[in-house]
Amino acid sequence: MCSPEEEALLRLEEVFSATLARINRLVLEPLLTAEPADPQGRECLRLLQQLHQSSQRLWEVTEESLHSLQRRLAHQDSVGLASLLLLCGADRVLQVHVEYIEAYTSCVVVQAFQKAAKKRSEYWRGQRKALRQLLSGVSSVASVGSALVQALRQPLAHHVQQYVLLLLSLGDTVGERHPTRELVVHAATLFGNLESFMRQALDQATATQALWHTVSSRLRDVLCTPARRLLQDSQDVPVTVAPLRAERVLLFDDALVLLQGHSVHTFDLKLVWVDPGQDRCTFDLLTPEEGFSFCSKDPQSRMVWQWKVTQAVCQALRGKKDFPVLGAGLEPPEPPTCRCAAYTFRAEGRLCQATYEGEWCHGRPHGKGTLKWPDGRNHVGNFCQGLEHGFGIHLVPQASEDKFDCYKCHWREGSMCGYGICEYGTNEVYKGYFQAGLRHGFGVLERPSQAPQPCKYTGHWERGQKSGYGIEEDGDRGERYIGMWQADQRHGPGVMVTQAGVCYQGTFQADKMVGPGILLSEDDSLYEGTFTRDLTLMGKGKVTFPNGFTLEGSFGSGPGRGLHTQGVLDTAALPPDPSGTRKRQLGVGAFPVESRWQGVYGPFRDFVNTGCPGDLQEALLGFHVQNSRDLRKCQEYLCCERTQPKDRADRMEDILEELLQYREPGALQQCLRKALSNSLHPLGQLLRTLMLTFQATYAGIGANKHLQALAQEEVKQHAQELWAAYRGLLHVALQRKGQAPEEDEDAETRALQVHGLVLPLVLPSFYSELFTLYLLLHEREDSLYSQGIANLSLFPDTKLLEFLDVQKHLWPLKDLTLTTNQRLSLVRDKCFLSATECLQKIITTMDPQEKLEVLERTYGEIEATVSRVLGQEHKLPMDDLLPLLIYVVSRARIQHLGAEIHLIRDMMDPIHTGGLYDFLLTALESCYEHIQREDMRLHRLPGRWDSRGLW
Amino acid sequence: MMAIRELKVCLLGDTGVGKSSIVCRFVQDHFDHNISPTIGASFMTKTVPCGNELHKFLIWDTAGQERFHSLAPMYYRGSAAAVIVYDITKQDSFHTLKKWVKELKEHGPENIVMAIAGNKCDLSDIREVPLKDAKEYAESIGAVVVETSAKNAINIEELFQGISRQIPPLDPHENGNNGAIKLGKQATQASRRCC
Repeated sequence: MCSPEEEALLRLEEVFSATLARINRLVLEPLLTAEPADPQGRECLRLLQQLHQSSQRLWEVTEESLHSLQRRLAHQDSVGLASLLLLCGADRVLQVHVEYIEAYTSCVVVQAFQKAAKKRSEYWRGQRKALRQLLSGVSSVASVGSALVQALRQPLAHHVQQYVLLLLSLGDTVGERHPTRELVVHAATLFGNLESFMRQALDQATATQALWHTVSSRLRDVLCTPARRLLQDSQDVPVTVAPLRAERVLLFDDALVLLQGHSVHTFDLKLVWVDPGQDRCTFDLLTPEEGFSFCSKDPQSRMVWQWKVTQAVCQALRGKKDFPVLGAGLEPPEPPTCRCAAYTFRAEGRLCQATYEGEWCHGRPHGKGTLKWPDGRNHVGNFCQGLEHGFGIHLVPQASEDKFDCYKCHWREGSMCGYGICEYGTNEVYKGYFQAGLRHGFGVLERPSQAPQPCKYTGHWERGQKSGYGIEEDGDRGERYIGMWQADQRHGPGVMVTQAGVCYQGTFQADKMVGPGILLSEDDSLYEGTFTRDLTLMGKGKVTFPNGFTLEGSFGSGPGRGLHTQGVLDTAALPPDPSGTRKRQLGVGAFPVESRWQGVYGPFRDFVNTGCPGDLQEALLGFHVQNSRDLRKCQEYLCCERTQPKDRADRMEDILEELLQYREPGALQQCLRKALSNSLHPLGQLLRTLMLTFQATYAGIGANKHLQALAQEEVKQHAQELWAAYRGLLHVALQRKGQAPEEDEDAETRALQVHGLVLPLVLPSFYSELFTLYLLLHEREDSLYSQGIANLSLFPDTKLLEFLDVQKHLWPLKDLTLTTNQRLSLVRDKCFLSATECLQKIITTMDPQEKLEVLERTYGEIEATVSRVLGQEHKLPMDDLLPLLIYVVSRARIQHLGAEIHLIRDMMDPIHTGGLYDFLLTALESCYEHIQREDMRLHRLPGRWDSRGLW
Repeated sequence: MMAIRELKVCLLGDTGVGKSSIVCRFVQDHFDHNISPTIGASFMTKTVPCGNELHKFLIWDTAGQERFHSLAPMYYRGSAAAVIVYDITKQDSFHTLKKWVKELKEHGPENIVMAIAGNKCDLSDIREVPLKDAKEYAESIGAVVVETSAKNAINIEELFQGISRQIPPLDPHENGNNGAIKLGKQATQASRRCC
């Protein structure tokens, strides 16, 4: 049941296969034997080799098609029509043809055949006859060259033409509803299109070849490449270019060329944007550095040029030839405004010689891209309207090899703005905010400890200079300055703490201390007066010694070494008030706590005020870094796999949504706890930055008891600011939902939330530094207390109860079960055991509120024990309670109780003042005081307990 | 809602004169719908109306034993009033009272209201301290004075009323120079902590 068309196809393929084999033997192989002598010859040979390969593939596919036809004819019943390669593999067959045509036209453009033939003209003259046989219907051929040109094209053209004819008639024979009809029609269309393609390709190649023939050799050297095709020439359709005044415009398939005198302007079509012009005879072109108008005499010419350029741009962007012809209804019909391309800037200016590779929009870098300067600088990141905008990494090489400054920052309109991390070639690192390319706002500059002069500044900046509140640690001198700055110098009130424990407060001007200050030495003596940076007393001043003696006069370093003074020593004074000397607090009032860390709170406020845009979270709140150990990983993360802004925006939605869901007190606490512990959450990020500043101030050298007041007010302020931050976020969340904002809370509600809710949640983040300060401040009392506890611990229970004047009827002797070899009077640590164990839990929590609750439970345990002993409920008056409490405290043996008590009192919700918790804490404090008393430690040691006097 | 004004009141006096009995009587005699937590008889609260305010007394007991005298400043700091109790049957306790008054004058909060309570007036037959002496003394220091009996609930109310009257009315412009004074929503404060 084979159609005659199929048989005809079979014959066609047989003939074509044989023809190809013959052409190969007669033409291509001899052509390839030419020995190239010059670069041009080598280029020709390469093109011919390509053509040879294409021809080979063409032969292979023809053979394959032939086999499929033979199989079909041999087994008509079992093998369907659809098995023919021409039908089932039409696209592949087509592809092979297209490749052949491209290879062939490239040879045509550079006249490869003519050149190769010239090399062996003797040989080709001998082959004339054979060639003529190949070319049916051509009686005489002018030259060997053009004979070759014909020989390599004509059989193919003829063959494709036959394909189309046979396929069309095959289509007619196949019934309308035959399943393979569609395939046949498709193949016929495809090969029909191939004919058009071939025609256009030949036309373009011929025109291009003709062009190279007419232009100067210099121009040809610059412009001619085998793959380049001329699409439009202003000599055919005239057009003028303003303001460039080009004499000739050439539109190639990859570039637009303007010739102006001796200069050649080439524009990559991928970076050409076409815009409609002002009138019907003009249109505008935009390139990265230039824009110009094409003007024609009439609208038609304008149409031709505009259409051609537009389609050429489209084709160039698609990266392959339009099929079958230029602008053949392919998508998209218009070139996109945003594209991806590389370009080297030529014009003088910031970008001169720099190469940009990445996304473009309307003639300007826009989107993601890389900008490289010839001096090695480069910028990888986001661009907007031709300028760096958004996140970017900027590398600036340094004089010495493989050293460079690396800026990982957010940019705005070409300069650094917002948060960034900069690693300098000098090993310095800056992490903080920028504005207009300069450090501005909060930032940390660190010179590593290995460096010759290790140094770290944590604080505020203004236009690239240290300015405002800041902390600088000088690793070499072992000093930390906490105070105000101006123009990179210490200026204004400041506190200096040193490694040795000496610290002073004074007023600075231009990096030097001026006027009198307060100097506190590690032995708790105090000097008020003037002194030098090396802590030499100079001029008038007054020393207060720890024992209360004072020395007032003028000081100076005399001719020898050592201190000289002339003054009055007062030995009559009483021991000084500890709050004035030993416990003197520095810096309080000098740097108001509200304004101390504005540079940290500020960006958060900006973030909230702009409505929490997810894509600005990083620029305003800093990069997400989990901890310092992750820093290296984090840098990698910054370099490549950063979270997409869109994800961030989504997450911001979730974060705000969550805030709305949990607004009831209990849920709110949970929600805040989660937010604060999550380093991706804005609140968590803010807290982490605050922790950083806190550690920079109070850890290490800053662990100085004279800074305790400064630290504790800072923690409370942070709690307040975090609450305000939460309120800000909530406000945005409500706004986004179109809900009414919450009413402004009054000062009292705010205080309640800050102390009751936020402070306990943030305190753990600052606890270790803060508690250390309390520990140092109360060191002396704590050691007296420890001695007292140690002494009391030697007492057996009953002795201690008696010693503390606990009334006998309250002694919980019922609790004591004795084994045979125990005596009542020797039992220790048994009475009020439940209360003692309860009180010990006070150190298991950092939350002042929970600590107070432990105290309340301890009282409950005491009362319960007493009630059990008495067999009835008993309300203890203070006369009874205090001795019992002292007993329990002494048995609980809590370390550093003084530090604990004062921390609780400072962090306690002021609402409790005068109330139950205040009372309990005062009772505990009085026990602590009492245990410290000298009489407890010295005069009433065990063994002497019965010799006590009148009490 | 009437403004609640919290007043810290400190109880001073020798051990055994019945400091806590007076407070227990004062607090327990009347039904108080705000059941405030207490610490035995050592810390109690009671709210009474006074003019257009409510006075919430936060009553802090102290240990009367002489060995603990030196701890007293911790307790009376920030007090709006001090109730100093003596036993009319014990002259010694009246001496101690005078010492307390002196100490408060020297080291106590400024403008602290002092109230003198001569307790155990039910035992006036074995009285050692004449009422006249107490009155004269109280007048000399500008203190409230009453003889009370915690046992028979005599003059207890009057004692605290006397204190309330002595507390200067709240000046909105000048807040809290008279001890711990706060305007607040007590109900929310008491029930706030529950989790």
